[in-house]
Amino acid sequence: MASIRIERLTKVFGATRAVDGIDLAIPDGEFVVLVGPSGCGKTTTLNMIAGLDTPTSGDIWIGDARVTDWEPGERNLGMVFQSLALFPHMTVFDNIAFPLRIKRAAPEAIAARVRAVSDTVHVGHLLDKRPATLSGGEAQRVALARTLIVQPSVFLMDEPLSSLDAKLRVEMRTELKRLHAALRSTFVYVTHDQAEAMTMADRIVVMHQGRIQQVGRPLEVYSDPVNRFVAGFFGVPAMNFVEGELRPEPEGARFVAQALRVTLPGYRGGSAPAVLGVRPEHVRLADGRESWPATVSLVEPLGDETLVFLDYGGPSSLVAKVDAEEKVAVGDRRSLTFRLDRVVLFDGKTGGRIPG
Amino acid sequence: MRHGRRALFPLVRHALLLAWTAVTLFPIYWMVMTSFKHAGEWVTWPPRWFPHEPTLVNYVKILTPGTSTFELGRQTLKILKPIGDSLIVSGVGSLLAVALGSALAYSWARFGTGGRNYPYNILSIRMVPPIVIAVPFVVYFVTLRLLDTYTGLILVYVATCLPYVIWMMLAFVEEVPVELERAARLMGASRLRVLRSVVLPLTASGLVVTFLFVFILNWSELLLAITLTNTEVSTLPITLNKFQSANEGRDYGPQAAIGTLATLPVVVMGFLIQKHLLRGFSFGLLRK
Repeated sequence: MASIRIERLTKVFGATRAVDGIDLAIPDGEFVVLVGPSGCGKTTTLNMIAGLDTPTSGDIWIGDARVTDWEPGERNLGMVFQSLALFPHMTVFDNIAFPLRIKRAAPEAIAARVRAVSDTVHVGHLLDKRPATLSGGEAQRVALARTLIVQPSVFLMDEPLSSLDAKLRVEMRTELKRLHAALRSTFVYVTHDQAEAMTMADRIVVMHQGRIQQVGRPLEVYSDPVNRFVAGFFGVPAMNFVEGELRPEPEGARFVAQALRVTLPGYRGGSAPAVLGVRPEHVRLADGRESWPATVSLVEPLGDETLVFLDYGGPSSLVAKVDAEEKVAVGDRRSLTFRLDRVVLFDGKTGGRIPG
Repeated sequence: MRHGRRALFPLVRHALLLAWTAVTLFPIYWMVMTSFKHAGEWVTWPPRWFPHEPTLVNYVKILTPGTSTFELGRQTLKILKPIGDSLIVSGVGSLLAVALGSALAYSWARFGTGGRNYPYNILSIRMVPPIVIAVPFVVYFVTLRLLDTYTGLILVYVATCLPYVIWMMLAFVEEVPVELERAARLMGASRLRVLRSVVLPLTASGLVVTFLFVFILNWSELLLAITLTNTEVSTLPITLNKFQSANEGRDYGPQAAIGTLATLPVVVMGFLIQKHLLRGFSFGLLRK
């Protein structure tokens, strides 16, 4: 088991700064998810931890050792790749046994260990098969078994579930979470899927343009985003953004936009362009202290909840997530209001959060 | 009507293909038949489609030890030594080219050795027609004492085959996902072990195909061989060619026998290539 520490880690490819001086400390046994859109530097960061990419500058520590210059094989890591990277010319048995053969373990020990590990991930009946004949889920488990067999102190996973269909993905999510609970090893998991990040992580590291935007527990990142990028990245459907201006008031501030005026008691500061953010579940079809008339333009029932698109006179419509019992039809005139304690404000220029 | 037309079309297509096959295979057929004919039947009119009395005399003539015999004013060349020379020069040349070229292809594909344009630069070797380099080679080879030696011809064959090997092997190496190598490295495998356990098994078919391809090229190469050798080294194509300049009369039977023997390995290898090409690319099943 081991903790990981990353200090001012930078990777430059040609003219691109793929990773731009990030600092991160991952305590022993934590399940950390690096999440962000493609090209944000998350996979490059993982590859540098693995030793597959050499940092341009900065340092990586695993446990008490500075491993920046170590060979990948010396770091005692297990990695599951996006493509799974099963060796196509070997049987499942030989695939799982490969790491032990490299370490020159005795054949009897290898056989026993392969059997034990393949039973834990339920691939014991597949040992004679070739990877090409496995289903997506089976291949996934074999890749996992091959990683588990050497009992690494750190597990690195690069979008390992992206090749699975939606249902299997959700199942494997739970299974990986269980595995983590059983092993108590450090997991570093890379994904672009915000749902995977939310459901699996102890802590989420949100990356964008080579930098860490925010580090925090899933609900923290969801409800208390540090900037507009993070706010927009999490949540389906995405947070509603309304561009406007923040104007000072005697007690607090007032957010003014086309067809919308919201009084925000907690906010201080001068007049400035701002963006108001409100999640669909915090938009209500009801009268409030402040409410605005709107027309229902689209209704998307999800079964448990219903998405309602509302034209309120602004440049784009607002999405509200309402109870499935709520009777709404396209063309209805309704009044809409926000849960003011959950509304967030961002600087109109920098996108940074305006504290309130 | 529609049904009738649909049945007719493949028929026409097959008839055309058969006709074309006959046209291309006819010279080979004629060569093989001639190689089994007695001297009297080589140029008779009307032609004899099958040897009247099939004979192995032509093969016996060319396969006896020695360099050449004169008989009734015809010079008959012996081919045991040319066969050996061809095997040595083509075999060693192709092996070296495959060994060097596949190493180059791998290192370029994975580490960008030599820069982005390296494979294109190498390809430019093939853009110079052999006739242009043949004579300058003679000049150099005289100085280096490589004229009319195995080493000399092998070196030239390695150089001319490298571009083919590099380009073919590039395709095969790029079929191997980098992640497989990375996974093996993470498990503690050294770079050599990665080559041995992952890259070699996955490119084995490619290596075989490439070897057969350049072997066939070298096996039938005439221009450079005839320019750079004299009496010490003499490959099959050279020997075959010498019949055309035989003193008087044409020794068609033995010539056809040599042609048949020279064609055999190429045909066998052609079939082998076909099988390996299929296998070589079937790893496309890899999960990507």
